[in-house]
Amino acid sequence: MMKRIALTFLLASTAPFALPSSPAHAEHKSPLADAPAIRKRVELRDKRFEIGIGAGSTLNETFYHGVMLNGHLAFHITDWLAIGGAGLFSATAIATGFHDELTSTLKSPQGLDAARAPNAAEAGAGMNKPSMILAGQIELTPFTGKFALFGGLFAHYDFYLYGGPAFVTLAKASGSDPSVPACKDKALAADGINNTCYTTGSTVGATFGGGIHSYFNDWFGLTLDLRDVLAKDNPAGRDVNGDQVADKRDLTWSAHWVVTVNATLLFPKADISP
Amino acid sequence: MKRRAVCLFVSILIGGAGGTGAWAAGSKDKAETKEADAAGASADAAGGAEAPPPDTSGDLDLTDNKASEDAAATIKASSTLTWQDIVVIPRKRFLKGGRFEFSPFAGTSINDILIQHYVFGLDLNFFITDAFSIGLQGDYYVKQLTDRESLIGLQYNRIPTLNRYLWSGLLNFGYVPAYGKFALFNKSIVHWEIVVSGGVGITQTEIIPRNISFEAFKTNAITPDVGIGSRFFLFDWLTVNYMFRDYIILDKYEPLNRSASMYASATEAKAHADSKLVNNIMFYVGVGVFLPTSFQYKTPR
Repeated sequence: MMKRIALTFLLASTAPFALPSSPAHAEHKSPLADAPAIRKRVELRDKRFEIGIGAGSTLNETFYHGVMLNGHLAFHITDWLAIGGAGLFSATAIATGFHDELTSTLKSPQGLDAARAPNAAEAGAGMNKPSMILAGQIELTPFTGKFALFGGLFAHYDFYLYGGPAFVTLAKASGSDPSVPACKDKALAADGINNTCYTTGSTVGATFGGGIHSYFNDWFGLTLDLRDVLAKDNPAGRDVNGDQVADKRDLTWSAHWVVTVNATLLFPKADISP
Repeated sequence: MKRRAVCLFVSILIGGAGGTGAWAAGSKDKAETKEADAAGASADAAGGAEAPPPDTSGDLDLTDNKASEDAAATIKASSTLTWQDIVVIPRKRFLKGGRFEFSPFAGTSINDILIQHYVFGLDLNFFITDAFSIGLQGDYYVKQLTDRESLIGLQYNRIPTLNRYLWSGLLNFGYVPAYGKFALFNKSIVHWEIVVSGGVGITQTEIIPRNISFEAFKTNAITPDVGIGSRFFLFDWLTVNYMFRDYIILDKYEPLNRSASMYASATEAKAHADSKLVNNIMFYVGVGVFLPTSFQYKTPR
């Protein structure tokens, strides 16, 4: 009985809200209500391919800044969703200031120091750098608009974000030292020579980032992109976990930030929105 | 049965009252609405119960009768008033000229792999025009040594020479070279602008002695700075800001050959310190509170 009364009460009290609005109210609705923010806009992304070619640099590497060539291919499924891939290839590497300062103190370790510190050649032989990064990514473009530069130059732009898996290839950063081997899965302190080892080869990681497209017209633009690539790495090739030996147990997740600038082509021809 | 009938009657009364309230809330927003309602009522009175319902399409037959003409005039006036909200060139969303901006912020250093600094600060800007501003900035820093710093000793038997930042005060000039707007999923529009800024100030730094038994010394270092960032306009008085700022610090570092027998005191160490130009790049986000909290357009719409 109480349940039925409660149901009756609920229906009766909510019914007025569920009734459709009368014409008298509809006539005062703003003509802009529920309208898209931008009409007749050039659909710069929807159902279009994007190809980008450019170059960039790593940002936070410990020992070597990598100068990278960059390629990007994407298909925009909708205006705000795309699927794509990117490849970054090391063109050259530049030693960081930290690398130079550190190796300058490792020229000729003496006595007890020599037992604990590598010389500059050994230290250099253990260092690595990312040589190739291949990424698959889902891209979101939630923000689109236009801006005026100095009140005179106008351009369309958008902000985008992305994420996905990455395949990172690591390579030796500088000259080799025959006393420095490739990192073993598990080295023993008794081996006595495993203070430094180098890590190369491919590893699976992840990538995420974002950037801005600035369009010169409806098929050509410039893209500024900031990407973080996460992969297991030991850029120094030295002991990390404190077990007195260097091996693959010293690999840790490392972040490789890369900034790139691309020239971007979009095709086929852009549509005009309603 | 009687109890159920009473219950239903009370429920309908409550529901009806709620519906009336919702009705009132829906029609209170504009004076033009009230006027339209009043005009509509008079039209109803003229036409009696047989007056046709208003046509909201805007395409009315104006030859019908006086009631219809009145109703048509009412609807036409209503929709004209609403369409007046649409202008060919909208005014700028936000005016800053002659206003103060208080902008507390927090951020982190991004370019030092051995020591990270977190910053908490306040920008106080006065906008001479909409594009130019002059301001003061105060920063307080908190340091954190990175994992890489802790590995230097283990991997290379070395202790890095590092300084930490304590505070800084700067005089900055700002300029807005670009402004724009963006649509969020093509549903709403947000206005924003790019800000570039530069100036000069003082940063107080302190060495972190390699040997912790040694005394530290402080330096008041001249600090030119340049920055680039953005403001996003939320309300007439509130923005959300971010900024990348490079503090170029002419700093003094602990001498490399400092020992118990050489430059052990802070004064001696500072006298023989190694000078170095350091780029401390910070990224910070904050909010901007503008005073006065409102502004008036000086040009007609």
